Amino acid sequence: MTTISQTSKDLDMEMSSDRARVLKSLAFSDQLFSFATRAAAYAVLLLLAGIILSLIAGAWPAMKAFGFEFLVTRRWAPQLEPMPVLGALAPIYGTLVSSFIAMLIAVPFGLGIAIFLTELCPHSIRRPIRLAIELLAGIPSIIYGMWGFFVLGPFLATYVEPGIVWACADIPVLNSIFSGEMVSNLSLFNASLILAIMILPFITAIAVDVFSTVPPVLKEAAYGVGCTTWEVVNNVVLPFTRVGVVGGVMLALGRALGETMAVTFIIGNSFKISGSIFAPGTTISAAIASEFAESEGLHQSALILLGLLLFVLTFIVLASARFMLMRLEKRAGA
Amino acid sequence: MHEKISVKNLKFFYGANLALKGINIPLYANKVTAFIGPSGCGKSTLLRVLNRMYDLYPGQHAEGEVSFDGRNILNPGEDLNLLRARIGMVFQKPTPFPMTIYDNIAFGLKLYENLSKSELDGRVEDSLKRAALWTEVKDKLGASGLSLSGGQQQRLCIARTVAIKPEVILFDEPCSALDPISTAKIEELIDELKTEYTIAIVTHNMQQAARVSEYTAFMYLGELVEFDETSKIFTSPTDPRTQDYITGRFG
Repeated sequence: MTTISQTSKDLDMEMSSDRARVLKSLAFSDQLFSFATRAAAYAVLLLLAGIILSLIAGAWPAMKAFGFEFLVTRRWAPQLEPMPVLGALAPIYGTLVSSFIAMLIAVPFGLGIAIFLTELCPHSIRRPIRLAIELLAGIPSIIYGMWGFFVLGPFLATYVEPGIVWACADIPVLNSIFSGEMVSNLSLFNASLILAIMILPFITAIAVDVFSTVPPVLKEAAYGVGCTTWEVVNNVVLPFTRVGVVGGVMLALGRALGETMAVTFIIGNSFKISGSIFAPGTTISAAIASEFAESEGLHQSALILLGLLLFVLTFIVLASARFMLMRLEKRAGA
Repeated sequence: MHEKISVKNLKFFYGANLALKGINIPLYANKVTAFIGPSGCGKSTLLRVLNRMYDLYPGQHAEGEVSFDGRNILNPGEDLNLLRARIGMVFQKPTPFPMTIYDNIAFGLKLYENLSKSELDGRVEDSLKRAALWTEVKDKLGASGLSLSGGQQQRLCIARTVAIKPEVILFDEPCSALDPISTAKIEELIDELKTEYTIAIVTHNMQQAARVSEYTAFMYLGELVEFDETSKIFTSPTDPRTQDYITGRFG
C-alpha cells in the first residue's frame, strides 16, 4: 500500500514538474496573447478618439466662420463671393424627416412580419419568408439607390403621389405636407420609402429573435384565459420583449440616419426646406457624398462639420436608446 | 353522478407518433380527478386535449370524442377562446403575465365582460381571496406579478383562472416547482375550489393525489390502465401495473 502510494506520489511530482516546464514555455505566448487582445480593444478607443479629433480639426475653420449660425441657417451657397453662406438646417431637417418617415413605415411592417412569422405562419413558409428578409438585408445600398432612381421614384411620382396630392388637397395641414407643387422622381418621400425597405430586415430579424424568447408556457397561459392571438401578442409578447424591440428599432434608426448611397441617389440633393415631403431635399450624408469631391476651403470644412453633426446625432440616438432600455429594465425588474 | 366531461376513445398524435391510444374516462362534476403515471405516459397530453391547447402547435391532432356538457369539443368549428375561458388551466411553472398583480387578474376579465371599475375591483378582490392570496398582496396590487414568490405567483395564476369563472380547472403539476408550505396551501385551495368547479390534476406526487382527489386515473404508455375511486386505487388496485407503480416498484 505504502509503496504504491509512494510511487504514485513520485509520478505525481514528475508529472507536475513536466507540467510546470510546459507552462513556463507557454508563459511568453500567453502574455503575448493577452497583450494582443488588449491592444486590439484599446485600438478601438484610440480610433474613435482619432476620428472625433480629426473631424473637429477639419471642421474648425467652418465652426470659427459660422459659429452657431451654422445650425439655424437655411441657405447653402458655397460659391457666393466674397464669402460663402453655409447653413446646416436643410440637411439636418432632411435627415430627421426622412428617418422619421422611414421609421413610421418600417416599424409597424417589421413588427407585423415578425408577429406573423412567430405566431401565425405555417411551418412550411416560415423559412422562405425569413430567408427573403435576410436577403433584403444583404442587398448593397447602391442597388437600392439605382432601383429607387430608375423604378420606384418614377412610379411613385407618376401613379401614387398625384393621387395622394389630390386626396389631401382640401385638408388644411395635410395639403402642405403632401403638396403637389414640386412632385418629382427625386424626393424626400421616395428616399424615406427606400430607407424603410432597407431598415425593415433589421427590425424584423431582431423582433423575430426576441419574440422567440417568450416562454411558450406563458403564451399558453394567455391562450388559456381565452385570449385571441392579437391579445396574446399585445398583452404578453410585446410587454415581455419590450426592451429587445426598442433596441432593434433604435439600431434601425441609427442605420437610417447614416444611410448615404441610396439616399444620395434619390433624394434630389436640394438644399431647400420645402414643407412638402414630395419635394426634393437632402440629408447630411447625401450632402457630403455629393459635394465633397469638388469642395475646398471653407466649403469642405463645412461638410466635415456636417459629418461631425451626424456623428453627434447618431450618438444621441444610441445613447438615449441605452438610457431608455436601462429605465425599462429597471421598471420591469421592480 | 353528472359527467361534466366524458372522453371517449381518444387518440392523440404528435405528428405520426401515437401518444394516447384510445382513452375512455369521465370527469365528474364537482369532483377532483387525479392523473398519475410515469413521465411520458400521456397524462399532461390528455389535459392539453381537454382545452385544445395542442391546437397552437401544427402537427398535433386528436381523434375520438371529448364531450363537454354533451358537446364534442374536438369539432373543428369549436370557438377555442370561449372554450379555454370555460376550461381554465394552471401550469407546472407559475406564469404570471408581465403586468401588475391587479392587471394579471383584471386582464382575463376584461376580455369577456364589460365591467365598471368598482365591479372589476370587486371581482379582483374576490378572486384573490379565493386563491388565499388577498391578505398577502392587498397593499401592493400595483406591483409587478413577477415580484411575488413562486408560491404566490402560482396562487396568482389560480386566482386569474378562477376570476373568469370557468366550469372546469385543469392543473398540470401545479406544485412541482413549489416548496412544501406553498404546496399545502394550494392543496387546501383545490379542496375548496371543488365545491364550485370540476377539477383535473396531473401530479407526480402520489401522496398529493391521495390527499386531494376523489378519483384517480393511472396511465401508462399512452393507455389508461385503471380508473376508480382514489381510496380504491391506493388500497386495492386491480391491475398489477397500478400496484407496482403506487408501491414505487417502477416509474
